[in-house]
Amino acid sequence: MSELLTAKNLTVKILICLAVLAAVMGLCTFVGTQDISVKNVLAGPGTAPGENIDYDIFVRVRLPRVILAALVGAALAAAGVVLQAILRNPLADPYILGISSGAGLGVIIAVLLGVTWSFWAGSPIALFAFAGSLLTVWLVWTVGCLAGKSQVTSLLLAGVVVNAFFSALIMFLTSIAKSEQVYSTIFWLMGNITEKEPAVLWAAAVCILAGVVALFAISQRLNVLTFGEQQAKDLGVAASRTRAIAFGLAAFITAIAVSLSGLVGFVGLVVPHAVRLVFGPDHRRLLPISAITGAAFLVVADTIARTIVAPAQLPVGVITAIAGGPFFLLLLAKYSRKVSWLK
Amino acid sequence: MNGIIEVENLSFGYTPQSTILKALSFEVPPGQFVAIAGPNGAGKTTLLNLLCGLLKPKAGSIRIDTADVESYSAKELAKRMAVVRQEFVPVFDFSVAEVVSMARTPYLGTFGFESSTDKDVIAEALAMTDTERFASRPLAQLSGGERQRVFIARALAQDTPILLLDEPTSFLDMKHQVGIYDLLKKMQLDKGKTIVAITHDINLAVQYCDNVLLLASDGGYSHGPVEEVLNAELIEKVFAVKTFSGKAGKSRFFLPRGKFARDTGRTAPQTNES
Repeated sequence: MSELLTAKNLTVKILICLAVLAAVMGLCTFVGTQDISVKNVLAGPGTAPGENIDYDIFVRVRLPRVILAALVGAALAAAGVVLQAILRNPLADPYILGISSGAGLGVIIAVLLGVTWSFWAGSPIALFAFAGSLLTVWLVWTVGCLAGKSQVTSLLLAGVVVNAFFSALIMFLTSIAKSEQVYSTIFWLMGNITEKEPAVLWAAAVCILAGVVALFAISQRLNVLTFGEQQAKDLGVAASRTRAIAFGLAAFITAIAVSLSGLVGFVGLVVPHAVRLVFGPDHRRLLPISAITGAAFLVVADTIARTIVAPAQLPVGVITAIAGGPFFLLLLAKYSRKVSWLK
Repeated sequence: MNGIIEVENLSFGYTPQSTILKALSFEVPPGQFVAIAGPNGAGKTTLLNLLCGLLKPKAGSIRIDTADVESYSAKELAKRMAVVRQEFVPVFDFSVAEVVSMARTPYLGTFGFESSTDKDVIAEALAMTDTERFASRPLAQLSGGERQRVFIARALAQDTPILLLDEPTSFLDMKHQVGIYDLLKKMQLDKGKTIVAITHDINLAVQYCDNVLLLASDGGYSHGPVEEVLNAELIEKVFAVKTFSGKAGKSRFFLPRGKFARDTGRTAPQTNES
């Protein structure tokens, strides 16, 4: 039975995808407004700071940014896969249960209060976004559970209503804010990747990778869960517990991604679908390949965002939406699972 | 008692005031084929959900393999009991082979992949149900009869002593109805499986099942061998419909006859009989 997934087959595919991702990241670090040469970068930092400018740009500017884009892309795509599975809804994305509006509200509150203190290398905006998104997710989950029986529907409804309510609050606060405050908020709401401290990057990398690996560990249970709660139980999966774990992990990595980069749209919706169309719906394959594809996609999108209107920079969310939409439609029209050589 | 399923004094209702099932007791010995029949709303599916632990009884107990059903973890219960349900809403395009392979979930480790044993079991289940021809096709592209066989294949691949089915032949044509029951009978005879099937088709139950549990709308029930339990008076009473019963070979059969049926007397005025 060649159709079924084997560990070996999957490992090979993941390794190939990782190699492609590494190549994309490598290429993108050398693309930018300032040309840098591989030779100069490999020459090392030199004796005095500022002696080898190419190396400094590579290590301090390009590399952290490319890594950040990859992390955010991986987190959003993986979370998208998981939410589509547990909500059994192909329209779900990482933001559907209130993370976006919660984080946005946190950010605008931080901007309006003019908070300047920071904590463990995190900017106040990132911390407020993180707190805002987790609090909202907790609120939506609690309301959804209280609403009872058909948990999936009540969760979705609670998420949509909370999103709408918080969006209204965001608009209200934006309209009473000063214009320079509004400007930075809007950039954040559109999704914006900037250079971050190495310590922040490391912490985010560890959390997101751990989250993705943990989600991969329950991916077979996610497969079963797409058949609904009853059938999941018939097949030996404790449905409510699995859903809570999956949701918690997805919300956690999304909150990290959002606090680092703002609301980068479309990645969490389009990448899982694109990967599913090509590789099929088995989550043991869908989850890791989506995470890697999401990473590569956002790295490319961010490279375009920082070069296309140079020396100015676009918010990366604009690129993901403009590029992602038509790309997805093309894929939807052209592909089905008949592409057998990719399986 | 020595049944693989033992139900004792079971009562259940969806609200504190209501009861659908009242003091229900029966047992199913290993290897028996039991039909659960009764009118709509008598609690057949509710009973199935109680048996597989989805619902908790208000009173009484259900034992599977001598242990209380609630004492099993979802995983352990899934190794003893497979369920084929009525409704199915496909969300993602899983192929037939992928759907059947999910039956092995309770046997997989954490980063679970099917072992070669698992694959053999899956291949056997596909072969037994004659579904291997479309193993790589998406489930959504199959006909109702094919899809039902896929879910039975999944239940077989779960490799459990007990099989519960909720109206496995609804929406199927005559050929496929008989096909499903032949398949179930084969599982009973060749593999010694205990099969509990909800059915609206009394006549199929008579031909294939050993025992029948007939639930009435008022919470009453009859349980026993099909030849003893199923007779015209009881069916007329439980289903509140006039029936004609006759014999075909060794089996009795029952035909419902409504007020306007051709032989009951009244015919529509415009009918032109020649």
